[in-house]
Amino acid sequence: MPYLETSAEWYEQSSLLLKARPTTTHVTSKYTVLKPNARKIKKHQKYLEKRAARPADPSRPQPSEPTLDNVEEPKATFVLKTYDPDSGTCLQYQTTKAAEVGRLIGSLGRLGRHMAALPEAMEDLSVPADGMGVSTPKVEEDVKVGGAPAEQKAGGGGKKKKKGKK
Amino acid sequence: MVARDHLSNDEFFTQLGNLFEYNRKKGHGTVYLTQKRLAFETEGQAPSSDKVADDPLWDTHPEKPLPILIRANNNKSTPRAGTDREKIDKIALSTIVQPDQLDAFFVRYAEACKAGMSGLKKRDRRGKKDKKKKKKGATETKG
Repeated sequence: MPYLETSAEWYEQSSLLLKARPTTTHVTSKYTVLKPNARKIKKHQKYLEKRAARPADPSRPQPSEPTLDNVEEPKATFVLKTYDPDSGTCLQYQTTKAAEVGRLIGSLGRLGRHMAALPEAMEDLSVPADGMGVSTPKVEEDVKVGGAPAEQKAGGGGKKKKKGKK
Repeated sequence: MVARDHLSNDEFFTQLGNLFEYNRKKGHGTVYLTQKRLAFETEGQAPSSDKVADDPLWDTHPEKPLPILIRANNNKSTPRAGTDREKIDKIALSTIVQPDQLDAFFVRYAEACKAGMSGLKKRDRRGKKDKKKKKKGATETKG
């Protein structure tokens, strides 16, 4: 199943799905930490050796080194998946950034409101209760929810503009 | 799956913290978090059959707000020759969040997850500086 580009898009689509099928749809978030596999480490070492053996090719630009140094660190990902077994709809979003977690759980909370069949209008009341991490994206999400579905095709590019409008 | 009782919200958060901590100690592994509407097991709220027949979309507008079921679990692990894998049983937790506690629950939930998902990439400001320096260095060597 494809991954959606932005978390805002994922939230938008998920909330539409939840509105249509609130009882069967569930949201699964998977936090996973993977050790790099032995083969990858070996491959990387071979690559480094090879590169060291063949120094300074002046005709080619020097590749930047630090990008490859983290091969041996464990890799962590956070995947959000909204799935409705009735229709087979599956919406996914993946990130590796810790900074996004707060916002994403905030989205989970708002999707939770759809699940619980609480009215969306209550969201304004929830703002003070939600506190710091969630409050910033809230503005933009509110705009998104209010906006027509045609707007959502604007995707990530439109996000900043909308924020400015409010 | 083994039948088990739902935990209280408080208990759930302590157990969830343990689950993340366990994952961190192990150095790798997965934590699954699931949420869905609790449409069953709630007495008096289950729709009667004629209601469903009348309105196929009854579930989009229930009379009362419904509670939400939150689950958390990890994967079980089996020992395998040639690796340092140990036998680990699956840990599974679940709790029910009442609609009126939903907002408060998710605030705590966000905190717990932020604290627990420590393996994800931090915002790296130092890296940017290094890159800038490197760019500068590169131009100097060229010129």
